[in-house]
Amino acid sequence: MATATYPPPPPYYKLYKDYLQDPKSAPEPPPPIEGTYVCYGGNYTTDDILPAWSLEDQGVRQLYPKGPNIDFKKELRSLNRELQLHILELADILVERPSQYARRVEDISLIFKNLHHLLNSLRPHQARATLIHILELQIQRRKQAVEDIKRRREEAQRLLKESIGTLEDTGASFVLK
Amino acid sequence: MDIISQLQEQVNTIASLAFNTFGTLQRDSPPVRLSPNYPEPPANPTEDAENFAEQAKLMSAALVKAAKQFDALVAALPLAEGGEEAQLKRIAELQAENDAVGQELQRQLEAAEKELMEVRELFSQAADNCLNLKKPD
Repeated sequence: MATATYPPPPPYYKLYKDYLQDPKSAPEPPPPIEGTYVCYGGNYTTDDILPAWSLEDQGVRQLYPKGPNIDFKKELRSLNRELQLHILELADILVERPSQYARRVEDISLIFKNLHHLLNSLRPHQARATLIHILELQIQRRKQAVEDIKRRREEAQRLLKESIGTLEDTGASFVLK
Repeated sequence: MDIISQLQEQVNTIASLAFNTFGTLQRDSPPVRLSPNYPEPPANPTEDAENFAEQAKLMSAALVKAAKQFDALVAALPLAEGGEEAQLKRIAELQAENDAVGQELQRQLEAAEKELMEVRELFSQAADNCLNLKKPD
């Protein structure tokens, strides 16, 4: 019965022999990769972007109007209605002219792609809103901490003054003793 | 789950309901007469036909309900600020305020630390005096 052993660990550990005595004698860690890299035969990019507006131009026709500010709610609702209508149309066409289903199915998948793209384009907005929320929370916590510290300092001052008073009362009697 | 993920899930649900509906209809529908040349197809037992009609109604009701829920979710979207620039401006404001409050906090903290040092010093002096006063008996 032939069993294969696991491959040995990569031999780089020998380079770190004197690390304890001289941390600089070992090689530096590799710098972070920028741009595209190849991993297990696949190309990856370090810049994760939304398959941007260009997807709509190159892949799939865009059904909602382009522009700086898109009214997401309205567009989502109208796309939903379009979807329902197309489903009905598909049902009708299957009854009357079953061989022409392909075009309708394509239309329905187009609508779905548009829907998902629209939803994905809401994600950056959501990220910024989350950031705003986190910043607000942090500001609130810091203000709270400032108030706490002020209160404690004042209380400490008060205690010190009290203790001075007490000491003066007892201290005089002590010195006279 | 956040609202956008819910919306995405809802879209997928609508899609799966749609293709389940069509698949079931296609699989279970009774045969129908296509041309006057061929005889009427054999009639199937009626219970099948009833169940089938019932199922078709249920499935289409589910589809419409899912679509309505999608609309409800869209209405619940908190799209308060229109525009990326408004959001970025707000982020810049908040950052400036955060920095200011942070510096205030830092100042208070340093002052408090200084006072703590002074109090410790005084306390150790007082303790020394106490000990020294106790020595001569």
